[in-house]
Amino acid sequence: MTALRYTGVSVGYQGSPVLTGVNLALRAGRRLALVGPNGAGKSTLIRSVVGLAEVLGGTAQVFGRSPERGRELCGYVPQAGDLDADFPVTAGQVVLMGRYRRIGWFRPTRAADRRAARDALDRVGLADHAGRRYGVLSGGQRQRVLLARALAAEPRMLLLDEPFNGVDAVSQEAILAVLRDLTAAGTALMLSTHDLRLAREVADEACLVNGRQWAAGPPSEVLSDATLREAYAP
Amino acid sequence: MSFWDDALHRAVAEVILAGALAGLVGVHVVLRRLSFFTMALTHATFPGVVVAALLGLDLLLGGMVTGVAVVLGVAALSRRTGRNATAATGVLLSAGFALGAGLVALRSGFSRDLSSYLVGSILTVTTRDLLITCGTLLVVGSVLAVCARPLLFTGFDPSGARAAGYAVGAWTLLLLLLIEVVVVTLVPAVGTILAVALIVAPAAAARLWSARLPVVTALAVGLAIASGLAGLYASARWNLAAGASIALAATGTLLVSALLRSAHR
Repeated sequence: MTALRYTGVSVGYQGSPVLTGVNLALRAGRRLALVGPNGAGKSTLIRSVVGLAEVLGGTAQVFGRSPERGRELCGYVPQAGDLDADFPVTAGQVVLMGRYRRIGWFRPTRAADRRAARDALDRVGLADHAGRRYGVLSGGQRQRVLLARALAAEPRMLLLDEPFNGVDAVSQEAILAVLRDLTAAGTALMLSTHDLRLAREVADEACLVNGRQWAAGPPSEVLSDATLREAYAP
Repeated sequence: MSFWDDALHRAVAEVILAGALAGLVGVHVVLRRLSFFTMALTHATFPGVVVAALLGLDLLLGGMVTGVAVVLGVAALSRRTGRNATAATGVLLSAGFALGAGLVALRSGFSRDLSSYLVGSILTVTTRDLLITCGTLLVVGSVLAVCARPLLFTGFDPSGARAAGYAVGAWTLLLLLLIEVVVVTLVPAVGTILAVALIVAPAAAARLWSARLPVVTALAVGLAIASGLAGLYASARWNLAAGASIALAATGTLLVSALLRSAHR
Protein backbone atom coordinates (compact mmCIF):
# COMPACT_ATOMS: atom_id res chain seq x y z
CA MET A 1 0.00 0.00 0.00
CA THR A 2 1.42 3.36 -1.01
CA ALA A 3 0.93 5.84 1.80
CA LEU A 4 2.26 8.87 -0.04
CA ARG A 5 2.80 9.61 -3.70
CA TYR A 6 4.04 13.04 -4.78
CA THR A 7 4.66 13.55 -8.52
CA GLY A 8 6.25 16.81 -9.65
CA VAL A 9 4.85 18.56 -6.60
CA SER A 10 5.53 22.16 -5.53
CA VAL A 11 4.59 23.19 -2.00
CA GLY A 12 4.45 26.59 -0.31
CA TYR A 13 2.31 29.23 1.35
CA GLN A 14 -0.10 31.82 -0.05
CA GLY A 15 0.75 30.90 -3.62
CA SER A 16 4.55 31.25 -3.19
CA PRO A 17 6.51 28.01 -3.63
CA VAL A 18 9.02 27.03 -0.95
CA LEU A 19 9.98 23.66 -2.40
CA THR A 20 9.60 22.45 -5.98
CA GLY A 21 10.07 19.29 -8.04
CA VAL A 22 9.18 16.77 -5.35
CA ASN A 23 8.85 13.18 -6.56
CA LEU A 24 8.31 10.74 -3.73
CA ALA A 25 6.60 7.45 -3.04
CA LEU A 26 6.42 6.09 0.49
CA ARG A 27 5.08 2.61 1.19
CA ALA A 28 3.57 1.28 4.42
CA GLY A 29 6.18 0.28 6.98
CA ARG A 30 8.96 2.40 5.39
CA ARG A 31 10.87 5.22 7.08
CA LEU A 32 11.67 8.32 5.03
CA ALA A 33 13.98 11.05 6.28
CA LEU A 34 13.74 14.53 4.76
CA VAL A 35 17.14 16.14 4.96
CA GLY A 36 18.30 19.64 4.12
CA PRO A 37 19.55 22.88 5.65
CA ASN A 38 17.35 25.29 7.60
CA GLY A 39 14.75 26.89 5.32
CA ALA A 40 15.13 24.13 2.73
CA GLY A 41 11.40 23.33 2.76
CA LYS A 42 11.44 20.14 4.88
CA SER A 43 8.74 21.32 7.29
CA THR A 44 6.67 22.77 4.44
CA LEU A 45 6.72 19.40 2.68
CA ILE A 46 5.60 17.59 5.84
CA ARG A 47 2.93 20.21 6.53
CA SER A 48 1.60 19.88 2.98
CA VAL A 49 0.68 16.24 3.66
CA VAL A 50 -1.80 17.28 6.37
CA GLY A 51 -3.05 20.42 4.62
CA LEU A 52 -1.03 22.97 6.64
CA ALA A 53 0.89 24.06 3.53
CA GLU A 54 -0.42 24.37 0.01
CA VAL A 55 0.25 21.96 -2.84
CA LEU A 56 0.81 24.48 -5.64
CA GLY A 57 1.48 22.11 -8.51
CA GLY A 58 1.89 18.47 -9.48
CA THR A 59 -0.08 15.54 -8.11
CA ALA A 60 -0.18 14.82 -4.38
CA GLN A 61 -1.86 11.70 -3.06
CA VAL A 62 -2.12 10.54 0.54
CA PHE A 63 -3.40 6.96 0.68
CA GLY A 64 -4.74 7.50 -2.83
CA ARG A 65 -6.71 10.63 -1.84
CA SER A 66 -6.11 14.37 -1.77
CA PRO A 67 -4.11 15.57 1.29
CA GLU A 68 -7.29 17.16 2.75
CA ARG A 69 -9.09 13.81 2.69
CA GLY A 70 -6.09 11.57 3.34
CA ARG A 71 -4.91 13.44 6.41
CA GLU A 72 -7.40 11.64 8.63
CA LEU A 73 -5.16 8.60 8.30
CA CYS A 74 -2.08 10.61 9.29
CA GLY A 75 -0.65 11.55 12.66
CA TYR A 76 1.23 14.86 12.72
CA VAL A 77 3.83 15.60 15.38
CA PRO A 78 4.79 19.30 15.41
CA GLN A 79 7.94 20.68 17.01
CA ALA A 80 7.34 20.95 20.75
CA GLY A 81 8.95 24.41 20.76
CA ASP A 82 6.16 25.77 18.53
CA LEU A 83 3.49 25.19 21.19
CA ASP A 84 2.45 27.45 24.05
CA ALA A 85 4.14 25.98 27.15
CA ASP A 86 2.14 28.34 29.38
CA PHE A 87 -1.21 26.83 28.36
CA PRO A 88 -2.78 25.06 31.36
CA VAL A 89 -3.14 21.53 29.99
CA THR A 90 -1.78 18.29 31.41
CA ALA A 91 0.21 15.73 29.43
CA GLY A 92 -2.80 13.41 29.67
CA GLN A 93 -5.15 16.04 28.21
CA VAL A 94 -2.74 16.68 25.33
CA VAL A 95 -2.59 12.97 24.48
CA LEU A 96 -6.37 12.69 24.69
CA MET A 97 -6.58 15.40 21.98
CA GLY A 98 -5.39 12.67 19.62
CA ARG A 99 -8.73 10.92 20.23
CA TYR A 100 -10.94 14.00 19.74
CA ARG A 101 -11.55 13.16 16.08
CA ARG A 102 -13.06 9.83 17.14
CA ILE A 103 -14.88 11.12 20.21
CA GLY A 104 -16.51 14.13 18.54
CA TRP A 105 -17.19 17.56 20.02
CA PHE A 106 -19.06 16.89 23.16
CA ARG A 107 -19.68 13.17 23.69
CA PRO A 108 -18.11 11.98 26.95
CA THR A 109 -14.79 10.19 26.54
CA ARG A 110 -15.22 6.41 26.53
CA ALA A 111 -13.08 3.96 28.46
CA ALA A 112 -11.50 2.88 25.15
CA ASP A 113 -10.37 6.49 24.45
CA ARG A 114 -8.87 6.91 27.89
CA ARG A 115 -7.16 3.54 27.59
CA ALA A 116 -5.74 4.43 24.16
CA ALA A 117 -4.37 7.70 25.57
CA ARG A 118 -2.85 5.91 28.58
CA ASP A 119 -1.28 3.24 26.35
CA ALA A 120 0.19 5.88 24.04
CA LEU A 121 1.73 7.73 26.97
CA ASP A 122 3.05 4.42 28.26
CA ARG A 123 4.63 3.63 24.89
CA VAL A 124 6.71 6.81 25.02
CA GLY A 125 7.73 6.04 28.62
CA LEU A 126 5.69 8.77 30.31
CA ALA A 127 2.85 6.77 31.87
CA ASP A 128 3.42 8.38 35.25
CA HIS A 129 3.41 11.92 33.80
CA ALA A 130 -0.26 12.03 32.71
CA GLY A 131 -1.26 14.47 35.46
CA ARG A 132 1.71 16.80 35.04
CA ARG A 133 1.31 20.10 33.26
CA TYR A 134 2.66 19.99 29.71
CA GLY A 135 4.64 23.22 30.20
CA VAL A 136 6.71 21.92 33.13
CA LEU A 137 8.00 18.91 31.19
CA SER A 138 11.46 18.99 29.57
CA GLY A 139 11.75 19.64 25.83
CA GLY A 140 12.30 15.93 25.18
CA GLN A 141 9.34 14.92 27.32
CA ARG A 142 7.08 17.42 25.54
CA GLN A 143 8.15 15.95 22.20
CA ARG A 144 7.30 12.48 23.50
CA VAL A 145 3.88 13.70 24.70
CA LEU A 146 3.18 15.05 21.19
CA LEU A 147 4.29 11.73 19.71
CA ALA A 148 1.93 9.96 22.14
CA ARG A 149 -0.91 12.26 21.00
CA ALA A 150 -0.29 11.20 17.39
CA LEU A 151 -0.11 7.53 18.43
CA ALA A 152 -3.41 7.78 20.28
CA ALA A 153 -5.07 8.56 16.93
CA GLU A 154 -3.77 5.21 15.59
CA PRO A 155 -2.45 6.70 12.34
CA ARG A 156 -1.36 4.71 9.29
CA MET A 157 1.29 7.30 8.47
CA LEU A 158 3.22 9.32 11.01
CA LEU A 159 4.73 12.71 10.13
CA LEU A 160 7.32 14.21 12.45
CA ASP A 161 8.73 17.71 12.06
CA GLU A 162 12.29 17.83 13.48
CA PRO A 163 11.42 15.42 16.32
CA PHE A 164 14.95 15.45 17.76
CA ASN A 165 15.42 19.23 18.03
CA GLY A 166 16.45 20.12 21.59
CA VAL A 167 15.72 16.59 22.76
CA ASP A 168 17.87 14.88 25.41
CA ALA A 169 19.49 11.48 24.79
CA VAL A 170 16.92 9.57 26.89
CA SER A 171 13.98 11.04 25.01
CA GLN A 172 15.73 10.55 21.68
CA GLU A 173 16.22 6.86 22.41
CA ALA A 174 12.59 6.52 23.58
CA ILE A 175 11.32 8.18 20.39
CA LEU A 176 13.57 6.05 18.15
CA ALA A 177 12.38 2.83 19.83
CA VAL A 178 8.71 3.77 19.27
CA LEU A 179 9.37 4.68 15.64
CA ARG A 180 11.05 1.33 14.98
CA ASP A 181 8.12 -0.56 16.55
CA LEU A 182 5.58 1.43 14.57
CA THR A 183 7.16 0.84 11.20
CA ALA A 184 7.62 -2.83 12.02
CA ALA A 185 3.85 -2.93 12.51
CA GLY A 186 3.27 -1.35 9.08
CA THR A 187 2.97 2.37 9.80
CA ALA A 188 4.61 4.60 7.19
CA LEU A 189 6.94 7.22 8.62
CA MET A 190 8.17 10.55 7.32
CA LEU A 191 10.37 12.80 9.42
CA SER A 192 12.44 15.88 8.82
CA THR A 193 15.87 16.36 10.35
CA HIS A 194 19.05 18.29 9.76
CA ASP A 195 20.99 15.67 11.72
CA LEU A 196 22.62 13.53 9.04
CA ARG A 197 23.83 10.88 11.48
CA LEU A 198 20.30 10.39 12.80
CA ALA A 199 18.86 10.32 9.30
CA ARG A 200 21.25 7.49 8.36
CA GLU A 201 20.42 5.65 11.59
CA VAL A 202 16.62 6.02 11.45
CA ALA A 203 15.64 5.94 7.81
CA ASP A 204 15.60 3.34 5.11
CA GLU A 205 14.89 6.04 2.53
CA ALA A 206 16.10 9.62 2.33
CA CYS A 207 15.15 12.71 0.40
CA LEU A 208 17.52 15.64 0.14
CA VAL A 209 15.89 19.02 -0.38
CA ASN A 210 16.97 22.63 -0.56
CA GLY A 211 14.43 24.74 -2.43
CA ARG A 212 13.96 21.80 -4.75
CA GLN A 213 14.40 18.06 -4.46
CA TRP A 214 18.05 17.22 -5.03
CA ALA A 215 18.01 13.46 -4.54
CA ALA A 216 15.85 10.64 -3.22
CA GLY A 217 16.64 7.00 -2.56
CA PRO A 218 18.68 4.88 -0.15
CA PRO A 219 20.39 7.01 2.54
CA SER A 220 23.83 5.69 1.61
CA GLU A 221 23.46 7.22 -1.87
CA VAL A 222 21.42 10.34 -1.08
CA LEU A 223 23.55 11.36 1.88
CA SER A 224 26.88 10.90 0.17
CA ASP A 225 29.42 13.71 0.58
CA ALA A 226 29.25 14.69 -3.07
CA THR A 227 25.43 14.98 -3.16
CA LEU A 228 25.33 16.86 0.13
CA ARG A 229 27.99 19.34 -1.04
CA GLU A 230 25.99 19.99 -4.18
CA ALA A 231 22.68 20.49 -2.36
CA TYR A 232 23.97 22.56 0.54
CA ALA A 233 25.86 25.04 -1.68
CA PRO A 234 23.64 25.37 -4.74
CA MET B 1 -43.38 46.41 45.30
CA SER B 2 -41.29 43.41 44.28
CA PHE B 3 -37.71 42.45 45.20
CA TRP B 4 -36.52 43.56 41.75
CA ASP B 5 -37.94 47.06 42.11
CA ASP B 6 -35.00 47.95 44.35
CA ALA B 7 -32.19 49.37 42.20
CA LEU B 8 -29.54 47.95 44.53
CA HIS B 9 -30.98 44.43 44.30
CA ARG B 10 -30.95 44.66 40.53
CA ALA B 11 -27.39 45.99 40.60
CA VAL B 12 -26.20 43.13 42.83
CA ALA B 13 -27.85 40.56 40.56
CA GLU B 14 -26.32 42.24 37.49
CA VAL B 15 -22.75 42.25 38.85
CA ILE B 16 -23.05 38.57 39.81
CA LEU B 17 -24.30 37.58 36.34
CA ALA B 18 -21.87 39.93 34.56
CA GLY B 19 -18.98 38.66 36.70
CA ALA B 20 -19.77 35.04 35.83
CA LEU B 21 -19.98 35.94 32.14
CA ALA B 22 -16.73 37.95 32.17
CA GLY B 23 -14.87 35.23 34.08
CA LEU B 24 -16.01 32.42 31.75
CA VAL B 25 -14.98 34.17 28.56
CA GLY B 26 -12.00 35.91 30.19
CA VAL B 27 -10.17 32.60 30.62
CA HIS B 28 -10.20 32.08 26.85
CA VAL B 29 -9.15 35.70 26.27
CA VAL B 30 -6.16 35.34 28.60
CA LEU B 31 -5.07 31.88 27.44
CA ARG B 32 -5.20 32.89 23.78
CA ARG B 33 -3.58 36.25 24.49
CA LEU B 34 -6.56 38.14 23.08
CA SER B 35 -6.54 40.96 25.66
CA PHE B 36 -5.49 43.61 23.16
CA PHE B 37 -8.05 42.37 20.67
CA THR B 38 -10.73 42.52 23.37
CA MET B 39 -9.73 46.10 24.14
CA ALA B 40 -10.10 46.96 20.45
CA LEU B 41 -13.51 45.31 20.51
CA THR B 42 -14.66 47.36 23.49
CA HIS B 43 -13.57 50.59 21.80
CA ALA B 44 -15.16 49.63 18.50
CA THR B 45 -18.45 48.87 20.23
CA PHE B 46 -18.62 52.52 21.29
CA PRO B 47 -19.36 54.12 17.86
CA GLY B 48 -22.04 51.48 17.25
CA VAL B 49 -23.76 52.54 20.44
CA VAL B 50 -23.51 56.21 19.42
CA VAL B 51 -24.90 55.58 15.94
CA ALA B 52 -27.77 53.58 17.41
CA ALA B 53 -28.50 56.44 19.83
CA LEU B 54 -28.45 58.97 16.99
CA LEU B 55 -30.81 56.84 14.92
CA GLY B 56 -33.04 56.00 17.88
CA LEU B 57 -32.29 52.27 17.64
CA ASP B 58 -31.52 49.74 20.38
CA LEU B 59 -28.09 50.70 21.73
CA LEU B 60 -26.98 47.14 22.48
CA LEU B 61 -27.90 46.11 18.96
CA GLY B 62 -25.80 49.01 17.60
CA GLY B 63 -22.83 47.95 19.69
CA MET B 64 -23.24 44.37 18.58
CA VAL B 65 -23.31 45.26 14.88
CA THR B 66 -20.07 47.30 14.97
CA GLY B 67 -18.44 44.73 17.24
CA VAL B 68 -19.21 41.93 14.80
CA ALA B 69 -17.89 44.13 11.96
CA VAL B 70 -14.64 44.58 13.89
CA VAL B 71 -14.38 40.85 14.58
CA LEU B 72 -14.74 40.12 10.87
CA GLY B 73 -12.43 43.04 9.98
CA VAL B 74 -9.65 41.87 12.29
CA ALA B 75 -10.07 38.28 11.08
CA ALA B 76 -9.76 39.44 7.45
CA LEU B 77 -6.85 41.80 8.13
CA SER B 78 -5.02 39.12 10.15
CA ARG B 79 -5.41 36.72 7.27
CA ARG B 80 -3.89 39.22 4.84
CA THR B 81 -1.22 40.74 7.04
CA GLY B 82 -0.23 37.48 8.74
CA ARG B 83 1.61 38.15 11.97
CA ASN B 84 0.95 41.87 11.87
CA ALA B 85 -2.55 41.44 13.29
CA THR B 86 -1.57 43.57 16.30
CA ALA B 87 -1.04 46.61 14.10
CA ALA B 88 -4.37 46.01 12.34
CA THR B 89 -6.12 45.65 15.70
CA GLY B 90 -4.50 48.82 17.04
CA VAL B 91 -5.58 50.83 14.02
CA LEU B 92 -9.17 49.56 14.34
CA LEU B 93 -9.14 50.37 18.06
CA SER B 94 -8.17 54.02 17.52
CA ALA B 95 -10.40 54.40 14.48
CA GLY B 96 -13.38 52.96 16.32
CA PHE B 97 -12.98 55.22 19.31
CA ALA B 98 -12.30 58.29 17.11
CA LEU B 99 -15.44 57.56 15.12
CA GLY B 100 -17.47 57.30 18.31
CA ALA B 101 -16.04 60.52 19.73
CA GLY B 102 -16.61 62.32 16.42
CA LEU B 103 -20.21 61.16 16.27
CA VAL B 104 -20.84 62.26 19.87
CA ALA B 105 -19.55 65.73 18.98
CA LEU B 106 -22.02 65.91 16.10
CA ARG B 107 -24.97 66.17 18.41
CA SER B 108 -24.83 68.27 21.56
CA GLY B 109 -26.71 66.87 24.55
CA PHE B 110 -25.80 63.27 23.78
CA SER B 111 -22.48 63.12 25.56
CA ARG B 112 -23.99 62.96 29.03
CA ASP B 113 -26.33 60.07 28.21
CA LEU B 114 -23.67 58.26 26.30
CA SER B 115 -21.13 58.45 29.10
CA SER B 116 -23.12 55.68 30.81
CA TYR B 117 -22.38 53.49 27.79
CA LEU B 118 -18.68 54.29 28.07
CA VAL B 119 -18.25 53.50 31.77
CA GLY B 120 -21.53 51.79 32.70
CA SER B 121 -24.39 52.69 34.98
CA ILE B 122 -25.01 49.68 37.18
CA LEU B 123 -27.50 51.40 39.49
CA THR B 124 -29.85 52.10 36.60
CA VAL B 125 -29.92 48.58 35.11
CA THR B 126 -33.41 47.56 34.13
CA THR B 127 -35.12 44.20 34.51
CA ARG B 128 -34.68 43.85 30.74
CA ASP B 129 -30.88 44.30 31.15
CA LEU B 130 -30.91 41.61 33.83
CA LEU B 131 -32.82 39.20 31.62
CA ILE B 132 -30.43 39.86 28.72
CA THR B 133 -27.38 39.21 30.93
CA CYS B 134 -28.99 36.05 32.32
CA GLY B 135 -29.87 34.79 28.83
CA THR B 136 -26.39 35.59 27.51
CA LEU B 137 -24.81 33.75 30.44
CA LEU B 138 -26.88 30.66 29.65
CA VAL B 139 -26.08 30.78 25.94
CA VAL B 140 -22.36 31.62 26.26
CA GLY B 141 -21.91 29.10 29.09
CA SER B 142 -23.61 26.37 27.06
CA VAL B 143 -21.60 27.11 23.90
CA LEU B 144 -18.32 27.12 25.84
CA ALA B 145 -19.24 23.81 27.52
CA VAL B 146 -20.39 22.08 24.34
CA CYS B 147 -17.41 23.33 22.32
CA ALA B 148 -14.83 22.86 25.10
CA ARG B 149 -12.80 20.25 23.22
CA PRO B 150 -12.39 22.08 19.90
CA LEU B 151 -11.72 25.36 21.73
CA LEU B 152 -9.07 23.70 23.92
CA PHE B 153 -7.34 21.97 20.99
CA THR B 154 -7.42 24.98 18.63
CA GLY B 155 -6.25 27.29 21.42
CA PHE B 156 -3.35 25.12 22.55
CA ASP B 157 -2.11 23.90 19.16
CA PRO B 158 -3.80 25.55 16.15
CA SER B 159 -1.59 23.76 13.60
CA GLY B 160 -2.08 20.37 15.23
CA ALA B 161 -5.82 20.95 15.38
CA ARG B 162 -5.92 21.94 11.72
CA ALA B 163 -3.90 18.86 10.79
CA ALA B 164 -6.48 16.82 12.73
CA GLY B 165 -9.23 18.25 10.56
CA TYR B 166 -10.55 21.11 12.71
CA ALA B 167 -11.62 24.31 10.94
CA VAL B 168 -9.45 26.45 13.22
CA GLY B 169 -10.52 29.74 11.63
CA ALA B 170 -14.19 28.98 12.23
CA TRP B 171 -13.60 28.03 15.87
CA THR B 172 -11.56 31.18 16.45
CA LEU B 173 -14.28 33.27 14.84
CA LEU B 174 -16.88 31.65 17.09
CA LEU B 175 -14.82 32.56 20.16
CA LEU B 176 -14.32 36.15 18.97
CA LEU B 177 -18.07 36.51 18.43
CA LEU B 178 -18.74 35.15 21.92
CA ILE B 179 -16.30 37.73 23.33
CA GLU B 180 -18.17 40.46 21.46
CA VAL B 181 -21.53 39.25 22.78
CA VAL B 182 -20.10 39.39 26.31
CA VAL B 183 -18.62 42.88 25.80
CA VAL B 184 -21.98 44.23 24.63
CA THR B 185 -23.82 42.48 27.47
CA LEU B 186 -21.44 44.03 30.02
CA VAL B 187 -22.21 47.57 28.82
CA PRO B 188 -24.91 48.34 31.46
CA ALA B 189 -22.61 47.13 34.26
CA VAL B 190 -19.24 48.61 33.32
CA GLY B 191 -19.68 50.27 29.91
CA THR B 192 -17.88 49.56 26.67
CA ILE B 193 -14.48 50.92 27.69
CA LEU B 194 -14.17 49.31 31.13
CA ALA B 195 -15.52 45.88 30.11
CA VAL B 196 -12.01 44.73 29.23
CA ALA B 197 -10.92 45.09 32.88
CA LEU B 198 -13.65 42.78 34.15
CA ILE B 199 -12.94 40.25 31.39
CA VAL B 200 -9.15 40.17 31.52
CA ALA B 201 -8.00 41.04 35.07
CA PRO B 202 -9.81 38.31 37.09
CA ALA B 203 -8.90 35.63 34.53
CA ALA B 204 -5.25 36.75 34.46
CA ALA B 205 -5.23 36.73 38.29
CA ALA B 206 -6.80 33.24 38.33
CA ARG B 207 -4.12 31.96 35.96
CA LEU B 208 -1.47 33.06 38.49
CA TRP B 209 -3.00 30.80 41.14
CA SER B 210 -3.56 27.60 39.16
CA ALA B 211 -2.46 25.74 36.06
CA ARG B 212 -5.59 23.55 35.95
CA LEU B 213 -8.16 24.80 33.50
CA PRO B 214 -11.29 23.95 35.56
CA VAL B 215 -9.73 25.62 38.62
CA VAL B 216 -8.63 28.67 36.60
CA THR B 217 -12.16 29.00 35.20
CA ALA B 218 -13.85 28.69 38.62
CA LEU B 219 -11.39 31.17 40.13
CA ALA B 220 -11.84 33.64 37.27
CA VAL B 221 -15.63 33.55 37.71
CA GLY B 222 -15.29 33.92 41.49
CA LEU B 223 -12.83 36.80 41.28
CA ALA B 224 -14.89 38.63 38.63
CA ILE B 225 -18.04 38.35 40.77
CA ALA B 226 -16.09 39.45 43.86
CA SER B 227 -14.69 42.43 41.90
CA GLY B 228 -18.20 43.40 40.86
CA LEU B 229 -19.57 43.18 44.41
CA ALA B 230 -16.55 44.99 45.90
CA GLY B 231 -16.81 47.74 43.30
CA LEU B 232 -20.51 48.09 43.93
CA TYR B 233 -19.94 48.29 47.69
CA ALA B 234 -17.18 50.89 47.28
CA SER B 235 -19.42 52.89 44.99
CA ALA B 236 -22.28 52.92 47.49
CA ARG B 237 -20.03 53.46 50.54
CA TRP B 238 -17.87 56.28 49.19
CA ASN B 239 -20.09 57.61 46.45
CA LEU B 240 -17.71 56.63 43.65
CA ALA B 241 -18.56 55.93 40.01
CA ALA B 242 -19.69 52.28 40.02
CA GLY B 243 -18.21 51.22 36.68
CA ALA B 244 -14.82 52.66 37.57
CA SER B 245 -14.92 51.07 41.05
CA ILE B 246 -15.68 47.65 39.56
CA ALA B 247 -12.89 48.00 36.99
CA LEU B 248 -10.45 49.10 39.72
CA ALA B 249 -11.50 46.21 41.98
CA ALA B 250 -10.90 43.79 39.10
CA THR B 251 -7.47 45.35 38.49
CA GLY B 252 -6.85 45.05 42.23
CA THR B 253 -7.38 41.26 42.13
CA LEU B 254 -4.64 41.00 39.52
CA LEU B 255 -2.28 43.32 41.37
CA VAL B 256 -2.73 41.54 44.71
CA SER B 257 -2.45 38.10 43.07
CA ALA B 258 0.76 39.10 41.27
CA LEU B 259 2.27 40.49 44.51
CA LEU B 260 1.27 37.45 46.58
CA ARG B 261 2.50 35.01 43.96
CA SER B 262 5.85 36.76 43.57
CA ALA B 263 6.23 36.89 47.39
CA HIS B 264 5.39 33.18 47.54
CA ARG B 265 8.16 32.38 45.06
